[in-house]
Amino acid sequence: MEIIQKFGLEAKLFLFQLINFLIVVFILKKFLFAPLKKILDERKHKIEQSLQDAENVKIVLENASEEKKNILAKAKSSADMLMATVKVSIKETKEKAVIEAKHRSEQIIDNAKQKAATEFESMNKKIGIMSVDISGKVMSKVLSDLFTETEKQKLMSRALEKIDEKIKN
Amino acid sequence: MQISPETLFSIAGFPVTNTVVATVITDIVIVALVLIVSRVVALKPGSIQNAVEAIVDYFRETTEEIAGERASFIYPWVLSFFLFILISNLLAQFPGFESIRFQTLTSEHHGVPFLRAATSDLNFTLALAVISVAVTHYFSIKYTGIKAYLTRFITFKMFPILLFVGILEFVNEVTKLISFSFRLFGNIFAGERVMAAMYGLFPFGLPLPFIILEIMVALIQAIVFAMLTMAFMHIMTNKSH
Repeated sequence: MEIIQKFGLEAKLFLFQLINFLIVVFILKKFLFAPLKKILDERKHKIEQSLQDAENVKIVLENASEEKKNILAKAKSSADMLMATVKVSIKETKEKAVIEAKHRSEQIIDNAKQKAATEFESMNKKIGIMSVDISGKVMSKVLSDLFTETEKQKLMSRALEKIDEKIKN
Repeated sequence: MQISPETLFSIAGFPVTNTVVATVITDIVIVALVLIVSRVVALKPGSIQNAVEAIVDYFRETTEEIAGERASFIYPWVLSFFLFILISNLLAQFPGFESIRFQTLTSEHHGVPFLRAATSDLNFTLALAVISVAVTHYFSIKYTGIKAYLTRFITFKMFPILLFVGILEFVNEVTKLISFSFRLFGNIFAGERVMAAMYGLFPFGLPLPFIILEIMVALIQAIVFAMLTMAFMHIMTNKSH
């Protein structure tokens, strides 16, 4: 009892302190911790939401990037295919053009050869006619002094016939 | 040197001591803090809200780390103990505590201190210790059940070893009360005496390092009381213990 008295322990004071602290706890819980907890939770929720949104945006961006890559790859593949087709087409066209040109040149050459042959034949004929004419004139000149007019005519026609035959052969 | 608080006057038979006055001032400071914070509380915090939030969040997270999902009902008590003890202890470092004298009918010619640290009153520290232990036991019954709670103290399994352990548990609970109350009371009371001695020796400059020391003691004692309450609440509400 003496120790209790020395330390000043008193039921009234003890109860006062006990009730006082319980009131303080009530005030703190109700008016400080609860609103702060609400605010902290709200902020935490908002931060989490923002992080989630950022994550979603990141995923969307990644997807878009992936899609862009795919589209580019597809476009490149299509372009490559188109280029290959065009190359093949150009090659074919070129080959076709070469063949056609060759064919055309052969045709031109044939035509030219044919024309040349015709020309040659015509020239031959003309030359033959000219040579008969010249031969006639030469013979007429040569034979005018040796033979009569009638003999001359016969000889000439005979010679011309022979020449004509030679030419024809 | 008086260990017990000095009675200043009485109101309807209730002795108003200098520690009671200090307790009322502590209450006023806490209510003021609550009013200020509740006024400025917003999603985007200001400096006051930031400071209070930091303390609240620290205790909430620490309790969650130790007690897990039971933190929601443990941490308000732990934080209340911390704030109340810390503010009580820090207020005692303000000028006026011990130095303002009050003349009573029974006091000597120089009177008694009008203000004295609330935590240097054993009534105060014992009340806090009783609340801490009582709330711990209440939570233990609530969250582990009455059967599990009682088997901590009385069990006939592995007779007589666990029965003896139960008796030790009971002694432990009584010891908690004594250690809680006397640790806080002893530290603050001793600090007050040291400060009084320093002011008596040389009041200019000499008490300064001791004021810093007392501020540290004030903080440490508040943390110790709060953390021990947290640990005991966690242990007593844990079924597997």
